[in-house]
Amino acid sequence: MSRFSDLQKNLFILAGVLAVIAALPLFITQRYFLGEIVLFMIWASVAVQWNVLLGHAGVFSLGQMLFFAIGAYTVGMMGVFFDISPWLSMPVGAVVAAVASFAIGLACLRLDTAYVALLTFAIVFMVSSLISTDAECFITEGGLCTPLFGGGNGFSGFGDLGFRKLLKGKWILGNYFVVLGVLALSLMASIVVIHGRLGLAFRSLGDSRVYAAARGMNRTRFHIIAFVITAFFTGLTGAVYAAHFRFAGPSLFEFSNLVFILGMIVVGGLKSTWGPIFGAALMMVLVELAKSWGDIQNSLIGIVLIVFVLLLPKGVAGASTKLFGFLKPKRKPSA
Amino acid sequence: MDAILQIVITGLTLGSMYALGSVGLALTYGTMGMFNMAHGVFMTIGAYASYTAATVWGLPLPVAIAFGILAGGIVGALMHLLVVRFMLSRDDFQTTIMVATAGVAILFQDLILKQFGAYPFKQPVQIEGMFRIGNTVIAYQSIAIMAMAAVLIGAMAWLLTKTRFGLAIRATAMNQNAAKLMGVKTELTYLQVILIAGTLAAAAGILISSLASLSPGMGTNPLIRAFVICVVAGLGSVTGAGLTAIALGVMEAGIGYYFGARYGFPVMLGLVILVLIFRPAGLFGKQGVIRA
Repeated sequence: MSRFSDLQKNLFILAGVLAVIAALPLFITQRYFLGEIVLFMIWASVAVQWNVLLGHAGVFSLGQMLFFAIGAYTVGMMGVFFDISPWLSMPVGAVVAAVASFAIGLACLRLDTAYVALLTFAIVFMVSSLISTDAECFITEGGLCTPLFGGGNGFSGFGDLGFRKLLKGKWILGNYFVVLGVLALSLMASIVVIHGRLGLAFRSLGDSRVYAAARGMNRTRFHIIAFVITAFFTGLTGAVYAAHFRFAGPSLFEFSNLVFILGMIVVGGLKSTWGPIFGAALMMVLVELAKSWGDIQNSLIGIVLIVFVLLLPKGVAGASTKLFGFLKPKRKPSA
Repeated sequence: MDAILQIVITGLTLGSMYALGSVGLALTYGTMGMFNMAHGVFMTIGAYASYTAATVWGLPLPVAIAFGILAGGIVGALMHLLVVRFMLSRDDFQTTIMVATAGVAILFQDLILKQFGAYPFKQPVQIEGMFRIGNTVIAYQSIAIMAMAAVLIGAMAWLLTKTRFGLAIRATAMNQNAAKLMGVKTELTYLQVILIAGTLAAAAGILISSLASLSPGMGTNPLIRAFVICVVAGLGSVTGAGLTAIALGVMEAGIGYYFGARYGFPVMLGLVILVLIFRPAGLFGKQGVIRA
């Protein structure tokens, strides 16, 4: 046994990982690659949060992109309609996502696993189709009609984080570190949840739902707590996505995005702490390669997903635990 | 009066397509606890297969329809043999199979997009013309859709209730281990179930595309309706799914008529969530849901 708890150990690893990512711009200066790393950090944050929900809390939510989109849309709408800086609207977006998740959680999470998956999926679909079929103009500027929720085009071109003025040509570095900050918050939250008391509750509910209930643990309550926490950070990530790309639109809801992030979690390893980060990096590389092979990324994502579920159900993290037992001595042999 | 008749006709047309799309999903869940995210892609495959047979190869319509239906079944069977078969004994089958079938779904959706492009083709498999009852216009296509759905669902009901083959499926659904001990080859039963689900989904896809048009993503919309139908009926209840589908179809047509087509699905989903608050296992569900 070491002197440090799981929680402290993982926070140390977190500091290391963040330091490495923070040092990357010293070696990588092309804007394209920096942009790719920003995208990686955004998806990694979403994947990490989803993994907390899916792998640890056991809530099979397919609605994560909705909370991401809520964060993004909040930034977009406040930027376009009221000219509010993303610095202010980003936290608002996270809170709105958390509130929405609370309402959805109350309605859905009482139900069984499969019901939760299907209902969250249906709710996302409903919201996205309502948004993209909306044609009623909310404001009209220079002959350009913008519906309340952006319609099929969404919002774009609203105010950014202000680094374009401040850093001129190197503006992307400013965004880079803002996104890194969000990733840091999101990772820290996930570690505290997984290795803290909440994680303990999830583990006991996963080991024996009946026994945990007999000891007075309210499964629905813990699920809703997990749902709201992860929605908050997913919403924050969506908000920073909108602030970076200056875009929020219905394309966020596409099925391929959902499967892409699911792929990151599965490839990295469901139920692990650090798997989704590696999974996100691997999937980003894979998609880059697929682009150069000719636009086959969705087929490739599908194949990777099937292969990993079939052959490596615990993902890279599980495989590496098997190979190098000393790397992650804390993991139990079987869940 | 005319409006009500029109709503009923539209609703029954919708409902019979939904029923065709959701009974297969309910059957796979009921028998093997598998929620098939690729079910919508089976619909797309059926639609494109019959389009290819009719337009590209110039085959007569009945052959094209049969080919489309068969294609759905074959893809379903292949998915079972290559993927599902190996996962059946896992502890977390219920969740991992959703991930795996989501992978299958995105793979096929992308392959269809690459093969046919995003252009919305017109489904050649349809009947033109309409007739009137009073002031209500009824398309022959609607009648054809209802007839085809009734025939296929009837055939499935007959298979399930009147044959030894159906008895094996129902036995497996009731208790997998007991069925095994009585000599039912459950492995084979699972394959048959997915085959049936695939053919029904493909048929639904052909019918749906005859009203709208063909597109690689056309399976998503009916898939989500099938999800909602199965959830509100109670997962795994096949009869329940059929009845709920028709009821929701009529309801959606009514809401669409009075409030606009945009709100048909949202209102339906809202009602479904309301139902689930009072009956967490669905209207026809047997299993109790653990509430703690």
